Amino acid sequence: MSVQGFLRILAPFIIIILFFSTAGCSTAGQPQKTVLKVVPAGSLLQPFDEVETVFEAEHPDIDVQIEGHGSIQAIRQVTDLHRPVDVVAVADASLIPDLMYRTDPSTGTNFTETYTPFARNAMVIAFTNKSRYADEITPQNWYRVISRPDVRIGISNPMLDAAGYRSIMVALLADKYYKNSTMFPVLFGSHFTPPLEIQNERGISTVVLPEVLRPSDEKLVIRDGSIFVLSQLEAGGIDYSFEYRSVAEGHNLRWVSLPPAIDLSSPDFSGDYANVRVVLGFQRFSAIGQNRTGQPIVYAITVPNSAPHPELAREFSTMVISMAQTGGKGWPVHL
Amino acid sequence: MHRGDDYFFYGFEAVSMIRTLQGILILLILLCFCTGCTGTAPVSEPLPGTKASNEFSNWNLTVNGSVKTMYSLDQLRSLPATTGNGFAVSTVGIKYGPYICKGVLLTDILNAAGGIAPGNQVWISAPDGYLWVFDYDQVQGWSFITFNESLKEIPSPPLRILLMYEQDGKPLSYDDGGPARIAIISDEKGVVTEGSAWVKWVNKIEIKKK
Repeated sequence: MSVQGFLRILAPFIIIILFFSTAGCSTAGQPQKTVLKVVPAGSLLQPFDEVETVFEAEHPDIDVQIEGHGSIQAIRQVTDLHRPVDVVAVADASLIPDLMYRTDPSTGTNFTETYTPFARNAMVIAFTNKSRYADEITPQNWYRVISRPDVRIGISNPMLDAAGYRSIMVALLADKYYKNSTMFPVLFGSHFTPPLEIQNERGISTVVLPEVLRPSDEKLVIRDGSIFVLSQLEAGGIDYSFEYRSVAEGHNLRWVSLPPAIDLSSPDFSGDYANVRVVLGFQRFSAIGQNRTGQPIVYAITVPNSAPHPELAREFSTMVISMAQTGGKGWPVHL
Repeated sequence: MHRGDDYFFYGFEAVSMIRTLQGILILLILLCFCTGCTGTAPVSEPLPGTKASNEFSNWNLTVNGSVKTMYSLDQLRSLPATTGNGFAVSTVGIKYGPYICKGVLLTDILNAAGGIAPGNQVWISAPDGYLWVFDYDQVQGWSFITFNESLKEIPSPPLRILLMYEQDGKPLSYDDGGPARIAIISDEKGVVTEGSAWVKWVNKIEIKKK
């Protein structure tokens, strides 16, 4: 065979190879991006999307992958599921020492040694223009308005979401703050069979939740995650929901601020917050018990000792803390 | 030059060589598809706990009812199987599925352990420390929140709880909760259920009398 004939046979294949190597496969041969795995609490997803954008712009060779979970489940990705996670950020700072200051059997060191509290949040009552009595509700009358029989309210599942048990704490605190208030029984307790009771002992109000949280009527709606409660709110299925202020703001909702003695935002009221307690229906995770005691909502971030990319992880964490200082829509308030 | 000319001028061996060469080039092109095109796709490290599906020989399922029963994976697989559509969503809205789920109905497993009565609960747990509780209504497939694929709430069609050991025609992998996990299944496609109940790595089922 002549060289020309041979080339003529090869030509179509060479063209195809060139096509794929320059068009469809234009990225072939470039180094793979380094994946930085970041696991935040669900209420941090919106602000962390912003951090991801800025971080990747500064580091074109890094692919930040954000995977949201409830705060305990976020930590469990490291401690129980042994996944390679670079950054963990939670909506309850106390969870990090409780769950991560213990020995990782695979390394012989603690899961982490340090963490940085970086923001705080407050519980608010979120609503929309479609909500019943939207034109009436104020920071002064909110507890009376949402207690009306024809108002439907929503919370996320306290078994799964800190915002869920914090919603119940708000009702318990409101009953202490507003004398003669019956917010907890009206909003929560009376909508279960049998009704949920408040146990008062030495000034501490405790509510023990049943194993399966299914309201017996339509006054109260409980969904696994905050996003599903928000969907109900936006669709008009409920009128009001208990949310973090940053989440309400991030979803362009209206909200009513609550007194600091109730909204779990202020360290000045730590003593008052500690007087309410929610006991979850069962121990969903063997690593943490069922008791949740009221305390200020503080966000914290840590780099696990097993982080595959600790330097980058620290850099990302620093950026989170820095951007939290600047704040913006959907960000919890910096410390 | 026509193909016939090739054969005429260079004979059978030459044409055979050209075809072999063509075959090699086609393989090269396929390689370009399979490897070159993944050049920048982010690659996560494999999970340290990852196990091959054939490494479940020590797995056992304990069922504590009025009768205590224990199953190996082979024994579980030998029970009457059910197949259905499963689709889950996490608390932050991450969807998992849709899957074709195959396994054993929870009701069949409970019946073999003495059955469940109204008011009873079923506690399902895994060695990673996770526990989930179903009440009697849920075991019957009632009282679940369901969504369509756009995560809009829809009225619940008939549902069943399955202990799944096969997903999309393959043995359930460790990363997906294998050898056996809970799945909420429907005969309809596109029915999404809340993922908190989809317990992975199930190894214990208990019937609790209230």
